[in-house]
Amino acid sequence: MSTALPPRRRVAVAGVLATLAVLGAVLAGLAVGPTPIGLGRVVGDLLSHLGVGRSTLSPLQSTIVWQLRAPRLVMGLLAGAMLAVAGGTYQGAFRNPLADPYLLGVASGAGLGATIALVRVQGDGVPAITPLLAFAGAMAAVGVTWVIGGRGLRTATGRLILAGVAVSSLLTSAQTYLQQSSLGSMAKVYIWLLGSLAGASWSSVALITPYVLGAIVVCVLAARALDVLSVGDDESRSLGLPVRRVRAIVVVASSLGTAAIVSAVGLIAFVGIIVPHAVRLVVGTSYRRILPLTVLVGAAFLVFADTLARTVMAPSELPLGVVTALVGAPVFVVLLGWNERGAR
Amino acid sequence: MIEVRALTVRAGSRVLVDAVDLVVEPGTWCTVIGPNGAGKTTLVEAVAGLRRPEGGSVWVGGRDLGPMRERERARVVALVPQHPVVPPGMAVYDYVALGRTAHHGLLRGATSADRRAVDEVIGRLALGDLAERDVATLSGGERQRTVVARALAQGTSVVVLDEPTTGLDVRHQIELLELVRNEVVDCGVTVLATLHDLTLAGQFADRIVLLDGGRVVLDGAAREVVRDPELAARYRTALRVVEVEGRDVVVPVRTPPTAVTTERASTGSAR
Repeated sequence: MSTALPPRRRVAVAGVLATLAVLGAVLAGLAVGPTPIGLGRVVGDLLSHLGVGRSTLSPLQSTIVWQLRAPRLVMGLLAGAMLAVAGGTYQGAFRNPLADPYLLGVASGAGLGATIALVRVQGDGVPAITPLLAFAGAMAAVGVTWVIGGRGLRTATGRLILAGVAVSSLLTSAQTYLQQSSLGSMAKVYIWLLGSLAGASWSSVALITPYVLGAIVVCVLAARALDVLSVGDDESRSLGLPVRRVRAIVVVASSLGTAAIVSAVGLIAFVGIIVPHAVRLVVGTSYRRILPLTVLVGAAFLVFADTLARTVMAPSELPLGVVTALVGAPVFVVLLGWNERGAR
Repeated sequence: MIEVRALTVRAGSRVLVDAVDLVVEPGTWCTVIGPNGAGKTTLVEAVAGLRRPEGGSVWVGGRDLGPMRERERARVVALVPQHPVVPPGMAVYDYVALGRTAHHGLLRGATSADRRAVDEVIGRLALGDLAERDVATLSGGERQRTVVARALAQGTSVVVLDEPTTGLDVRHQIELLELVRNEVVDCGVTVLATLHDLTLAGQFADRIVLLDGGRVVLDGAAREVVRDPELAARYRTALRVVEVEGRDVVVPVRTPPTAVTTERASTGSAR
């Protein structure tokens, strides 16, 4: 790819822009909402917590910012970063541009687990056991895929991917059957499946943070190995890469992190597949550049999408998965066109 | 030094390499020849550690490669594959630097020693002007030189090449093999290669091993093997050896029309 800027410069510029985007997303996540609270007052309150100046927020406004918007913001940052980096990592580990974090059955397993909770447990709202069952379903699905496709680690990765397709199909059909057989809870299931950050709280953030941060660190550290893996399994091994071990570590980390996110916020589509590709279009094919930037861009993108989701039709919310696709797809198409012109 | 001891490799019930013994002295070049399906690629892949042998072992410098992990093995044997995967968007420098993976590991970046090693190989193979180029945009000859550079950057005493001249024109074939020959003569690298071209095999190798049906049929000095009548028998083709400026040229000779074609011709004329 070629554009006006030399590659090194372009990576630096992209890094600065992505960092600014995250900062912008943080401010938007805290200041924007149905209750108008000025950005300056939010920043003033933030500084007052650090011992600088005095806050002008009322107790109610303070609660809205720090107990509703802030955990939602942090959850958005974690979810966006995790899904995007897991997608990028899978694309490298399986050398498959269509790979996303749900490749090995995380989504369908979590979907089935959550549906069981939503259908079987009576009462209003989302039962407390839902995240736990979603997490268990996600990890069980990846476990089964792993066992069926385990040989794929030694030979081609195709077997593992196909096992993921089979497990996903099976669990999705079971989930659909459960959903259809209980019409009363269908809306709840449907809303859960489309993903939302509305249920985020400090306790849910605290619960998933260790998994997610650990997984993100492992994925980013795997970047060098993924660059080697771009020459294929055999050549990578002859260059000294323990291909099986690298792939196993990446799959375990990505699955744990993604399952934790999915259990907390449902299924958010699009981020995991498109953000890494968008970053790749800008900074080239080295995972050492792609993955750290993907963390930043994924985090910022999801928070901006969520800010839109909760303001466009306030006080009701748009499903987050719909917004990510609605906003992300045109942006990606523009990037593709820009890249095409640059390549000429 | 490479020592292959009673090496047997299977694929399912098929025996691809059958109890092969082979010794390549340090700082020499041994080329494995043989008809398609003889087991040449399987043999060199087993030596490079890409195939787990059913029986036997491979030793390099007195060390058994069998129990070694990938990283340790990559510091002993380097491979130039027959069909290298070309990752789009990777610069020649970065591609050659992949050869240092086993030295700096996966968590640490390249050290100054690694960079020096890469710079040195790039200079030696005259790739300096191409260092920033995307590997995917190189010509066949440039690309193959880059793949050899990556193998040399591994800094191993043994380099294994599987059909390194595939897809190259005559000039680039000779250039590439001269380059490898220099590594043998100047740097004392031990080379095990497979080649289809019998003339080039005879002119560049110190020793030739003829493989057929996974077994060693001939093993000797290059000049003796290319002149051995067994060679034509194993290829089932008439071969002549012509001496040009003191070097052997192996020429395939078209044999008289077979019985089948004669029969067809006579049927045609009867119509």
